Amino acid sequence: MIFVAVGTQFPFDRLIRCVDEWALAHGVEVVAQIAAGEYLPIHARYERFMTTEAFNQTLKAASLIISHAGMGNIITAIESSKPIIVMNRQYELGEHRNNHQADGLEWMAKLPGVYTAQTCEDLNALLDQHDSLTASGQVGIERRQNLINFLDQAIRA
Amino acid sequence: MTAKCKVFAISSPGGHWIQLTRLCAGLEAKHEIVYALPDKLFRPKRAQKIYSVIDVSADDKWKLIPCAFQVGYILLKERPQVILSTGAAPGVVAIVLGKLLRIRTIWVDSIANVQKISRSGELVKNCADVFLTQWEHLSDQQQILFKGSVL
Repeated sequence: MIFVAVGTQFPFDRLIRCVDEWALAHGVEVVAQIAAGEYLPIHARYERFMTTEAFNQTLKAASLIISHAGMGNIITAIESSKPIIVMNRQYELGEHRNNHQADGLEWMAKLPGVYTAQTCEDLNALLDQHDSLTASGQVGIERRQNLINFLDQAIRA
Repeated sequence: MTAKCKVFAISSPGGHWIQLTRLCAGLEAKHEIVYALPDKLFRPKRAQKIYSVIDVSADDKWKLIPCAFQVGYILLKERPQVILSTGAAPGVVAIVLGKLLRIRTIWVDSIANVQKISRSGELVKNCADVFLTQWEHLSDQQQILFKGSVL
């Protein structure tokens, strides 16, 4: 099962439609979290919003995560050892209030287990080889611990 | 250095919250953490103390006012020594109120802001006692510090 999630703040019809059409053509099971999207999937099972619990359960059951380029889903996928494909929202298409998701795409692609797409064509190319996408182990444990140690000191200061 | 501090941790839902909770997970054993989150979809587990506050974003700025009343009430009630936020708008509210109430404030700019400091970060840059970026190239090693990142 593939889990596609667009976050809670904005819809992302371009992503949902792309995954739904690919999954229909290939007969792959998809669960979609679509927020306030206008495009309603014809193939995928979908919910507009999910509780954190339902979200985590669906994510656990999925073999691949597809997401807008939001940090929450990327961090959660990495921690759950699931491969994730992210597509950035584009400010020019009215998909976000600025273009920081496009700015982030380059470094996200460097994270192990994170795959990036800018267009539906990119996404289709990755989906066509979805069985070969692999998850990362943990990422940046030392960097996180360094920040936590500094915060601990800063809190005590 | 065993004294626990009371820390008030606040952010928007989504990615900011995920980052905040990952950082706080490493601090919960050392400090008492009180959370505030504008998200009805999240149910706290274990012994976490989480206040629910009204959501506010750059698209609905008027909500800053009720949000500020809620956050102000929590700060007066809980009397934390430190405020910690990863953004966005609710964090700005808390940092500004913290300044007024003379509470120590720490801002960790979201890792999603790679090319420049976030808009909410820019608003509190001169106000927060400690201002951190998660990108070394955005640090000026004086006002904007880099000390690590969640990933």
